[in-house]
Amino acid sequence: MNCFETRQEFPALWRKTATEERRAELLAHLKSCAKCDHAFRVFALTAPVLYSATEPGGRIAIERRVGALARRGAMVSRGSTWQRQMVAMCAGVMVLFMASAAAYLSVTVPVSSYSDEITNSESALDLPAADTSVMGNDFAG
Amino acid sequence: MRGRLASRKIAWSLTAKPDEELIGEVLAGDAGAFNELSTRHRPRVERLCQRFFSDPEMARDLAQESFIRAYTALASYRREMPFGGWLRSIVINLCYDELRRRRRRPEELVGDFNAPEVQWMHLVNDASPEDLVGDAEERREAHDLAHRLLDTLRPEDRMVMVMKESEDMSVAEIAQTMGWSEAKVKIRAFRARQSLRKQAERMLAAGRDR
Repeated sequence: MNCFETRQEFPALWRKTATEERRAELLAHLKSCAKCDHAFRVFALTAPVLYSATEPGGRIAIERRVGALARRGAMVSRGSTWQRQMVAMCAGVMVLFMASAAAYLSVTVPVSSYSDEITNSESALDLPAADTSVMGNDFAG
Repeated sequence: MRGRLASRKIAWSLTAKPDEELIGEVLAGDAGAFNELSTRHRPRVERLCQRFFSDPEMARDLAQESFIRAYTALASYRREMPFGGWLRSIVINLCYDELRRRRRRPEELVGDFNAPEVQWMHLVNDASPEDLVGDAEERREAHDLAHRLLDTLRPEDRMVMVMKESEDMSVAEIAQTMGWSEAKVKIRAFRARQSLRKQAERMLAAGRDR
C-alpha cells in the first residue's frame, strides 16, 4: 500500500468501514511512514465534523440501499400480473426455505454452540471495502 | 441485536410508502403525509446542518426552516429527482445563506483553547491512529475544534468541503446545487483544502507547545 492509497482510505478508517485486513494494512503503513502519520493527524482535526462515523458510508448508505430495495418492490407491485405472481412465488419459496432451515438447525445444532460459532467466525465480521475513490481526500498532503 | 434492528428496518422500509406517494398525498391536500416525510428525513437533515453549525439548537432550527421551505415549494418538486436530493439542495442553500449572513469569520484561528481542547490536541499529536478514531466520536471538544477550523474558511469554501467530503457529492452535483461552474467548484475545493491544512498544522503546533 503506497502513500496515495493510504490517504485515500483515511475516511474509511475514520468511519470504520474498512475491512479488518485493509485496516491492518493502513495502520501498518501509518506506523512506518512519518509523512502519512502526520497527514492522518491533520486529517483527524476536521474529521469529527466532516467524516463522522454515521455519514455517509455507514448508516445512510444502508438506508439508501434499503430505500432503493423498497422502491423497487413498490415498482414491481405496481407492475403487471405476472410480475406480481413471480414476486409472490419467490417470497413463498424463500419463506419455505427459511422455515425448513430454522427447523433443521433447532433440531441438529445446540443454540449456544451455533451462536458461539457466529460470534467467533471471522467471516461474519468481514465488511465490504468502502469505495472512497471519489472523495479526493488529498488536503492533508 | 444489530441483525434484529436491521431486519426491523427492512420490514419497515418494505411497508412504508415511498416518498413520491407521500408527496402526491400532500399535494392532494393531506398535510399529515408531510409529517411522515419530515420524520423520515429529519435525522439526515439535522446531521447535515450540524456539519455547518456547532450549535445543536441552531442546527435544529435550520432543519425546521428547511422543512417549511420544502413544504411551501413542494408544488415545484419534479418527480424525476429523488426527494432526498431535492431536500438536500434546500438545506444546503439555507445553510449557505446563514453562513454568509453571520459574516463573522475569523481569518485566523483564535488561540484560546480550554483544558479539554488542549487535551484533545495533545492526543492528536501523541496517540496512536487507532486511539484517535476510537476517542473522537465521544469527545465534544473534538467536534468544537473541528468547527473552529472549518469556521476559518470562506462560506463558499466550507460549502464545497462539506458537500464533497461529507456528502460525497460530485463536482457536477455541487455545481448544479450552488449554481456555479464546475471550474469554480474545483478551485474552491483546492483552496479550502490548502487553507484547512495550513490551519490544522498551526493547531497541531499549538498543541505541541502547550
